Amino acid sequence: MWRLSDFFLGKEHLIQPLPFYYFKDIYSEDLEIDEEPVHYGNIMYDRRVIRGNTYALHSYPPSTQPDPVELQRQQEAKRKALARRRAREHLRPRSPEPVEGRKHVDVQTELYLEELADRIIEVDMECQTDAFLDRPPTPLFIPAKTGKDVATQILEGELFDFDIEVKPMLEVLVGKTIEQSLLEVMEEEELAELQKQQQQFEELRNLELAEVQRLEEQERRHQQEKERRREQQLQQLQKQNETAQKIAARAYAQVYLADLIPSVFGSLRDNGYFYDPTERDIEIGFLPWLMHEVDKTIEYNMVGRVVLDMLIREVVENRLNMFEQLAVKEPKKTLPDNKDEEQGESFTIGSEQFAEEQESLPTRSFQDVPPEKDSFQMPFGDNLDIFDMKESDVSEDKEP
Amino acid sequence: MASPLISQYLPPDIDPTKVSIAYGRRALPKLNEELNSPDLLTRQRALMALCDLVHDPENAYEAISIGCLNTLKLLLKDADSTVRHKTLEVFYIMASHSVGREGFLKNRIILALAPNLEDPVLLCRRFLHMTYVRLAQVPKGAHAIIASGLIPYLVKKVQIEVEEIKEILLDTLYFCLQWDASQALQSDAVPILHEMLFSLNDVIRSKAARTMMALCMPRDGKKKVWEYNVIPILVSLLNDSNIDVLANAAGALMFATVTTAGKYAALDAGALPLLMNLLDINVVKVRINAIKALTMLAEAPEGRVELLQKVYKFKELRRSSISAISRAATIATKVIEWKP
Repeated sequence: MWRLSDFFLGKEHLIQPLPFYYFKDIYSEDLEIDEEPVHYGNIMYDRRVIRGNTYALHSYPPSTQPDPVELQRQQEAKRKALARRRAREHLRPRSPEPVEGRKHVDVQTELYLEELADRIIEVDMECQTDAFLDRPPTPLFIPAKTGKDVATQILEGELFDFDIEVKPMLEVLVGKTIEQSLLEVMEEEELAELQKQQQQFEELRNLELAEVQRLEEQERRHQQEKERRREQQLQQLQKQNETAQKIAARAYAQVYLADLIPSVFGSLRDNGYFYDPTERDIEIGFLPWLMHEVDKTIEYNMVGRVVLDMLIREVVENRLNMFEQLAVKEPKKTLPDNKDEEQGESFTIGSEQFAEEQESLPTRSFQDVPPEKDSFQMPFGDNLDIFDMKESDVSEDKEP
Repeated sequence: MASPLISQYLPPDIDPTKVSIAYGRRALPKLNEELNSPDLLTRQRALMALCDLVHDPENAYEAISIGCLNTLKLLLKDADSTVRHKTLEVFYIMASHSVGREGFLKNRIILALAPNLEDPVLLCRRFLHMTYVRLAQVPKGAHAIIASGLIPYLVKKVQIEVEEIKEILLDTLYFCLQWDASQALQSDAVPILHEMLFSLNDVIRSKAARTMMALCMPRDGKKKVWEYNVIPILVSLLNDSNIDVLANAAGALMFATVTTAGKYAALDAGALPLLMNLLDINVVKVRINAIKALTMLAEAPEGRVELLQKVYKFKELRRSSISAISRAATIATKVIEWKP
């Protein structure tokens, strides 16, 4: 059997014709013939296995920190090998590329077809646990069955009595079920009971509330009524008071003013506001005039008397002087003087008058005064003021 | 290939939809980790397992203490509807337990659940609202829901949601409004509920009437209810055939007639004879609500005049075995026979 494939006879690898492993590299999409495939070789001839002395060998450094120079050299070697392979590939004769729509296929060309029985079918499988799943519980370990199979038959009634055995189980089952259902029913009943109680309470509460409100309202109305009545009463009292006061005031005023008029009239009368007009007239007009006249008359009277007194005095003095003169000059006659004549006349008249005056002073009547006044002149004009004074004295005495 | 399964058949108690639960203490932490896994199937199966576990309050406590709630909060925003609906189911089951509710309040779950109000899937919304209902049944929970400012949204939702969800929503609102109805009154709950009183669905009518009752409790509510002329509707509901509707309508009237205006509105609508009929029905709730409503009406002189003729009925009820009824009847007789 010939294979239309290539053998790689490299210095490093000694390949034995092992079954062909069609190894698909899962990490690359298509098989790169250029890449070095991994070959399995004899372990004895594997370069990696160290033979012989292990203490003086040039040991590879562990793969953690490869020597960069070494690394580079290795890479170089790899590249060179790759390049060599590529060159060889180029030169190798190949069958031409398949025509459009056709494909190259391996075919057995011997006389007798050989079954490729040693083609091992490979299937890629992989397994990986989920990163974050919990570890599932380990499955129950059921060991493989070993030993002999033995059978036995159980007749009815030998093993157990179903009815008796099932009782406790049934009790538990039924008990649990009933317990659960009881709980549920109890919950509902509890709620219903609470509701009922609440309703009752509410009814009572509403009732009481209504009662309270009614009483409140009643109270309020009563209060209002009372207030109104009290107000009324107060007003009434006030009015009564007012009227009483008014009456009292009226009575008092009446009493006070009762004798007002008489007293007014009395006082008016006393003060002379009511008068008889003629009487008044007489009093006001006549009597003062009368008094005045009386006054005047008496004044005249006094004046006359004073004058008379003076006259008499004059006369007496003159007579005295004359007598003295006469006494001195008997033959001499009085000078023809007005004065003397007058005096002479007056001697006689005056003396008569004087005598008369002395007699009738108290009984002199008014009518006598004016002629006397007319008959003589006042000799002493200078001493009129004495007369005035005397007049005033006299008038003062005479006035009422 | 070796496999951990010995037999060809799966063991009988394995549910392929659930993830296998680790043993003992490791169960819930492992579930918590699996809930965070990016694989959708794992998450779904872990949620199914969690659902089952949380029925037990001890497990619920443990789950909350290892911080499952935060994981679940994230899952609420998941794109897959199964995940969301299962998450909400877990929340619902946890809300049935007291520890669950405490955990919710501590971890601010209420607000985290709020975006799911807009969830397009009905099942998710249903579980969400059921969770809210469970939470609202406890005073703390109700206060927390009110404090989170969800009431206006819930009121709006009541208008636009489907019937199934409306029922649940009305329950939530009822429980919350018992404590503080001011937010709801501000968001115009009265007209919305007014419409719902006409609904054809019995359950919705009864629940709407109950919520109306809660709205009537504060004084503002009473005023608003009178303004919107709801009282005649409530009186007409007294003719209904459904017991719950009757009870709740009587209850709502009971609160609405506390004010004088309400009393006269009810009397004008002819509530007296209808309420007297209710006294004959042997259901406790109906009876006490009717007695109370009649007591309110008896304070008005017109009401008293009519009720004086029927005092004997109240006197009979005084001898009832249920203390609430006999007490209410005693008060009623006292009010009816009162002379100024």
